[in-house]
Amino acid sequence: MKKTCLVVGIGNPLLRDDKLGIQVVETLNNQQVPVETTILYTVGFELIDKILGYEKVIIIDAAKFGKLPGTILELRLEDIFTTHALINSHAITLGTTLKTGYLIFPEEMPRKLKIILVEAEDTTHFGKECSPAVRQAIEKVVERIKEDLRSM
Amino acid sequence: MRKIEINPITRLEGHGKITIFLDDNGNVDEAFFQVVELRGYERFLVGMPIEEVPRTVSTICGVCRGIHFTASMKAMDEIYGVKPTPTARKLRELFLNAHFVEDHAVVLYALGLPDFVVGPDASPAERNIVGLVQKVGVELGKEVLRKRACAVKIFEMLGGKPIHPVTALPGGWAKRLTEEERQEIEKLSEQLVELGKLTLQIFDDVILKNEKYMELVTGDMYKVVVNYMGTVDDQGRVAYYDGTQRVVDTNGNEIATFTGKGYLDYIAERVLPWSYLKMPYLKQIGWKGIVDGEGTSLYSVGPLARLNAANGMDTPLAQEAYEKMYETLKAKPVHQVLAYHWARAIELLNAAEKCLQLAKDPEITSPDTRVEVGEATGEGVGIVEAPRGTLIHHYKTDKKGIVKEANLIVATTHNKGPINLAIRKAAKHFIKEGKVDEAILNHVEMAFRPYDLCLACATHAVTKGTIPFQIDIYTPKGELYQSLKNF
Repeated sequence: MKKTCLVVGIGNPLLRDDKLGIQVVETLNNQQVPVETTILYTVGFELIDKILGYEKVIIIDAAKFGKLPGTILELRLEDIFTTHALINSHAITLGTTLKTGYLIFPEEMPRKLKIILVEAEDTTHFGKECSPAVRQAIEKVVERIKEDLRSM
Repeated sequence: MRKIEINPITRLEGHGKITIFLDDNGNVDEAFFQVVELRGYERFLVGMPIEEVPRTVSTICGVCRGIHFTASMKAMDEIYGVKPTPTARKLRELFLNAHFVEDHAVVLYALGLPDFVVGPDASPAERNIVGLVQKVGVELGKEVLRKRACAVKIFEMLGGKPIHPVTALPGGWAKRLTEEERQEIEKLSEQLVELGKLTLQIFDDVILKNEKYMELVTGDMYKVVVNYMGTVDDQGRVAYYDGTQRVVDTNGNEIATFTGKGYLDYIAERVLPWSYLKMPYLKQIGWKGIVDGEGTSLYSVGPLARLNAANGMDTPLAQEAYEKMYETLKAKPVHQVLAYHWARAIELLNAAEKCLQLAKDPEITSPDTRVEVGEATGEGVGIVEAPRGTLIHHYKTDKKGIVKEANLIVATTHNKGPINLAIRKAAKHFIKEGKVDEAILNHVEMAFRPYDLCLACATHAVTKGTIPFQIDIYTPKGELYQSLKNF
């Protein structure tokens, strides 16, 4: 029997907008939203470890797609997966990681996967505060997740 | 002169670029590996209580999070003039060795082995972890990932919190191990030893038994003759957590040993006009340029360097594998860059065996995990072996332990000279008469992948699902002739 739902926030807590995934998870926890959560500092095989055995997983990460800061994108795995040779072990992408998970653990990986990316403005300066546009987006993402959970 | 650029673009602390200059005949004239490294974290740490530093530096790199944590924790010991209790030291070692297994497994399976299992000429679309799993089979992939997850479990049990460790104390470890946890870690460690054996078996089957691949492993195109640095224990065996830093020359003779702050007497850094990152060299030999061969002052660190600098391994199965590698390659030190992957596999087994030894140690569950600390002494150096090489954290503080200065030297910095040489040699060998295609460039990339560059991964925002990688080829007049992109 699979567990119901997990929300995963990915990011560096000290690099401004890169924190947004973590900030979403912290907000959900502060509001005592009844959902399991976890955070990761980076994408890697730990992501597979964390999400195995869940029916549904929502992943939140910062993105640099060249869109307006704070833009929210809901994507499928196919949208972010492009195979490529790895440059180093620090460069295993979200798409490759998830694809590997589905290839190796087809039964245990979540049947429903939602990837929510928010366009970051600043991920290069130190700071625990996200930029204003991203802060607004975080509130919207939290509301979307709550809505999503209500409809489950 | 034409110019080819290989651009792995990263954010924050690092931006790596490879530029290859061709001569008028289309052969390689020169090749450079450049890194733009912003010392952001070092500045950020100033003003912070040293007790906060381990938790903070664990965010430098999501991959090596436990390594920066451990190096800064050792520096913190020195700042407070304390040594960890025997139990605290064992817990720290167990933590670090589990981290080694996890990290080495990722590097090997996601990065090193696809070049061989899928093949060096295969397209990038196949030559990756997904292609590797398709080739070796899902069941084997499952076994590897499940066993690797055992290392993460140990790491998290000891670190006190999932993913990011919080258990560093000056002279101690904030979380003692219960007997129940010890038993679980023992079982998990048995799985890690199996992973180590399996990895060496795959290496044996895929690479050692393949003549074509062994030509690459032993060939001159991937040979870089430099000095080697690694940490050894009191019997000269490879050590990760603590020991003496030993340097051997290109013939394997010991030329220097030091500990702690002594690194300043042996390592100097050369400012180069074409790079923001200084290039370290051995002070006693003096700057000789970016050259390899006898007399060079460049040195490398990491798995192969550690094995070259040591007399052996401190666990039985890894020792057997160590002997086999040197017997097979018929030399010590081994200068073949691709043997880094072999050394990495041997270390994976070694770290796994050490986890099992430590898990069986009755002292590891002792409640004696912390010491009294007094006033800060004002300075501390923590040196540990990171999976990709020697990591140095050096701090100066005031009497309250507030950081005033921080200096971090990471493995990729030590390896900068050898990486440049490796790229230059491979480029010269494989790029002829201006012919450049994906397979040829992969053979060039294979020269730096063994070093597992850590350019910086403090941020990792999704960039259309790929790490941007760009190769630009310029005509002798500097006009863009061809551009290859993966984004």
